[in-house]
Amino acid sequence: MSGVARIARRRLRGDGLTLFGAVSLGCLLFLGIFGPWLPLGDPSRIAAGPRLGAPSAAFLFGTDELGRDFLPRVVQGIRSTFLLSAIAVAITAVIGTLLGMAAGYLGRHTDQIVARGADILFAFPALVAGLLVAAVMGPGQASAITVISIATLPLFIRVVRSVTLGVAGRGFVTAAEVAGASTLRVMVVHLLPNVMGAVMVQLTYALSIGMIIESALSFLGLGVQPPDASLGSLLRQGSAYLTIAPWMVLSSGVVLSLAIMSVNLVGDAARDALEPLKGRPLT
Amino acid sequence: MRLAAYLLPRILAALITLFGVSVLVFLSLRLLPGGYADILLGPFVTPEARAVIAQRYGLDQPLVVQYLRWVWAMLGGDFGVSMVTQRPVIAELLRRAPVTLQLALIALAVALAVGYPLGVISGVRAASRRKRRDFGRVVGAMGASVPDFVLGSVLIFVFSVWSLWFRVGGYVPFGVDPVGNLRTMLLPGLTLSVFGVALILRTTRDAVLRVMTEPHITAAVARGATPGAIIRRHILRNAAIPVVTVVATYFGFLLGGAVIVEVLFSVPGVGLYIFNGLLNRDYAIVQAGVLLAAVVFITINMLADVLYALIDPRVGAAR
Repeated sequence: MSGVARIARRRLRGDGLTLFGAVSLGCLLFLGIFGPWLPLGDPSRIAAGPRLGAPSAAFLFGTDELGRDFLPRVVQGIRSTFLLSAIAVAITAVIGTLLGMAAGYLGRHTDQIVARGADILFAFPALVAGLLVAAVMGPGQASAITVISIATLPLFIRVVRSVTLGVAGRGFVTAAEVAGASTLRVMVVHLLPNVMGAVMVQLTYALSIGMIIESALSFLGLGVQPPDASLGSLLRQGSAYLTIAPWMVLSSGVVLSLAIMSVNLVGDAARDALEPLKGRPLT
Repeated sequence: MRLAAYLLPRILAALITLFGVSVLVFLSLRLLPGGYADILLGPFVTPEARAVIAQRYGLDQPLVVQYLRWVWAMLGGDFGVSMVTQRPVIAELLRRAPVTLQLALIALAVALAVGYPLGVISGVRAASRRKRRDFGRVVGAMGASVPDFVLGSVLIFVFSVWSLWFRVGGYVPFGVDPVGNLRTMLLPGLTLSVFGVALILRTTRDAVLRVMTEPHITAAVARGATPGAIIRRHILRNAAIPVVTVVATYFGFLLGGAVIVEVLFSVPGVGLYIFNGLLNRDYAIVQAGVLLAAVVFITINMLADVLYALIDPRVGAAR
């Protein structure tokens, strides 16, 4: 653990962009997790202030058309956007890792079936798939989670499969097989630890893709439904008043972009640490 | 011959993927709550009416028969009829396809023109000894993180307050009024391109860095070739290969329907049509639209594989 902390500290020094991402991700996660217990005000209290009131000292992000304080609404949005994406990506990561390892290690027919399955899911543009899912399941959080899974499952399968292919031919795997280890044991004890790094990197990217998809679906009215709020549904709400109360779109838009960017920056740092790429200087 | 050995499995795989996609789309709409008859007739449906509908649309047949009939009809150009307008869905999709194509081309052109050069510069800089500010990382991180509907909303706000030259909404075909067309299409195109800029920039940057770890670059430096010559002769072409794949995937997704940007800017393209179909519970549109989006995506990616083999002689030879 101290090793990880030391590497993290060394990487963060002299890399302002990653530091910025890590700090802002930390702040947003703190707000998302502890938001309901922070003294920010009640997100659902109607007529807490004027209708469509501009940002002021009392209401930092202004108020919405029902006079609700917009700041706690945005904090609530951070919570559900992170949470929905995290749930979807966690489920997908487990399934994708299992399938990817099975495809890479068992090979032959399993590989063919899993790889084709991943291709099939990958062929649907995420939001177009979202329209189909919304048609079948109806709008809501369950469809949002399904769409995120459809979009990110192929990414996990492909990455895990290719890493597994590289590891499966190495000596210690052959040794375990010769010693009579069962297929399951080889996969869990010998392959899993070796693909975990790639899975973690993919996890951060999938999380940011999930947040984009969730907020896009909610923006279209197909994801989180009122009175619940996600950053996407707040944008949808705000876009109706874009010209007279732009602070709703601006505040939720900036927070959403910041959230996605901080996840991406941390993911970039994780990837650079895992597979450093150092080209030769030309001079 | 080698090329055929390389391409045949890919074409086969594409066909299998196509089959899988069609089965998924077919089954998903058969799973609709209430079934097709309820959607057509509403919730207060008598058993007799349901039976008539079931017979007319072949819903009383086994699923396999229904699927085969459905595919056979599509091969004959029948993608179903819109319940709202009672007109063939495919005619409307084809009528709108050029709009989405134009949007996708604008986005792709901007993404390539900005992303590729920035990616090359950023990659070369990242490898250089002198520590310089790597603006490529900043642009890449921001472009990949600002969702298109956030950027689009901000642009709409800005240009509705100061109208400047652009116009939001009010699409006219390029053939009728080229300037008017660009006035409405450039903003959505730019909005759509931002993610592509980041995608191509990051891919190019990685590809450049990867090429620069290879021995032939060291050899070129040792020969005393100038940086400019090394970039032109050794890096640009080699780094283009992964970019082709990413461009194909990106373009395929764009063509499949830039749903959110079309909805936001009310651009009458394929994505807006599918979205409105969903809102009207006009599922024939959703079904055909989703299927065609996937077909286009698979086709473009297959063409990219062909292009791949043409750019990189090693691809055909290695197999």
